[in-house]
Amino acid sequence: MTRLELDKDRCEAHGLCEQAAPDLVHLDDDDNLIIDVPGDLSPSQLDDARDAVRVCPVSALRLVE
Amino acid sequence: MDRIVIVGHSIAGLTVGDNLRRLGFTGTLTYVGAEDVEAYSRPSLSKAALAPGDGGIHLAPLPRISADTDDTVELLGRRAVSLDTDARTVLLDDGTSLPYDGLVIATGSRARHLTDSPREFTLRSLADAERLRAKLLERPRVTFIGGGPLGMEVASAAVGLGCEVTLLNPGVPLSMHLGPLLGGLLTTLAEEAGVRILDTLVDSVAETADGMAVTLPSGEVIESDIVFTGIGDDPAVDWLADSGLLADGRLIVDSRQRVPGHPGIVAAGDVCWLDGPDGPRRSPVWTSAIEQGRVAADGLLNGDAAAERDHPFYFWTDQWGVGLKVSGSPPREDIAPEVVKGSLEERAFVIRWPEHHAAAALDMRMPIPRLHRLAAGEG
Repeated sequence: MTRLELDKDRCEAHGLCEQAAPDLVHLDDDDNLIIDVPGDLSPSQLDDARDAVRVCPVSALRLVE
Repeated sequence: MDRIVIVGHSIAGLTVGDNLRRLGFTGTLTYVGAEDVEAYSRPSLSKAALAPGDGGIHLAPLPRISADTDDTVELLGRRAVSLDTDARTVLLDDGTSLPYDGLVIATGSRARHLTDSPREFTLRSLADAERLRAKLLERPRVTFIGGGPLGMEVASAAVGLGCEVTLLNPGVPLSMHLGPLLGGLLTTLAEEAGVRILDTLVDSVAETADGMAVTLPSGEVIESDIVFTGIGDDPAVDWLADSGLLADGRLIVDSRQRVPGHPGIVAAGDVCWLDGPDGPRRSPVWTSAIEQGRVAADGLLNGDAAAERDHPFYFWTDQWGVGLKVSGSPPREDIAPEVVKGSLEERAFVIRWPEHHAAAALDMRMPIPRLHRLAAGEG
């Protein structure tokens, strides 16, 4: 029971998370980060989500139980 | 390959480990980490970790995938002291000898310093940041030696915490890294924030009865409570001195992060020099450590069939209340850029030098891939 959470105030649209987990998050046309899988993540999605959280330069993404 | 040892427990080493698992490696993965803490985001040390507030430093640990498997071992608070490539073992400071089939070198680098004084500060580790933060909260007078990205970020943080700041740098701060336009702009912001900037080298640094004294070539002496030294870093390769891996003291890797002549050994991150058409160079920044880590995992498992390193340089900094993102290397000469968005006067812009394959965004939301495309002349 784990999902991705974004701190919108911290996000600076570097986009490293989108490169790490293109199936889970994307930057829209206005460079706002959209979490495409807002609910519970499957085990394989969880690996991508961890990768996305880890590479964020400003720690704007996190995993919450 | 059954046993892979990863020496280094920060973003480069962790990225290699996780990518080894993703590429199907099911053997034993052993991490050796000199710091006895969970891995954290190092760029935050000069940014969020020094933000105003009375509390301590709270950085979320970096999440990982490889740590979940039974065949992953973490040896933290321990250092590698030597490497025997014939026996294929890494010796640790507690006497442990770790045998390996594959070795990943990701020991990072160390901050250069000028004295052994406890009043001289540098910033590389979480422990450094905790010590520095505690001191800056006392609002000391600080002399910064070196106006590179780290010195300028920490100077910005020190001003934000109420410190009186003098910064010494030969030439315009950051201009060696970012060119005269961007370096000059951030330097102007620093001066507007109240930083005294002196265009000078440093002759010597010494403790006084209650502070530090920095003597300049002019004979002038700058006195302050503490000194922050930001004059670069040196790869942490002392444990490899007798390994046969170093060339003129440098650990050089090929386009797949492999150490030539040493099958089964790769390196990633701040520790290594990247061989290329213009000769070996370092790329000691966060995004490069991640890219190098991905390439190194592939290179270790798949050899010549692995993808080669192929990422444009990306760098960002937060200081004086603005964020700057840079793709490629802006010209060192004073060349007017093409303004893509915003304006230089407003200090909020996207600019580029297409002939130099460089682009920059100041105080603008700008995803890395788009900045790279702008630098390449597209869009």
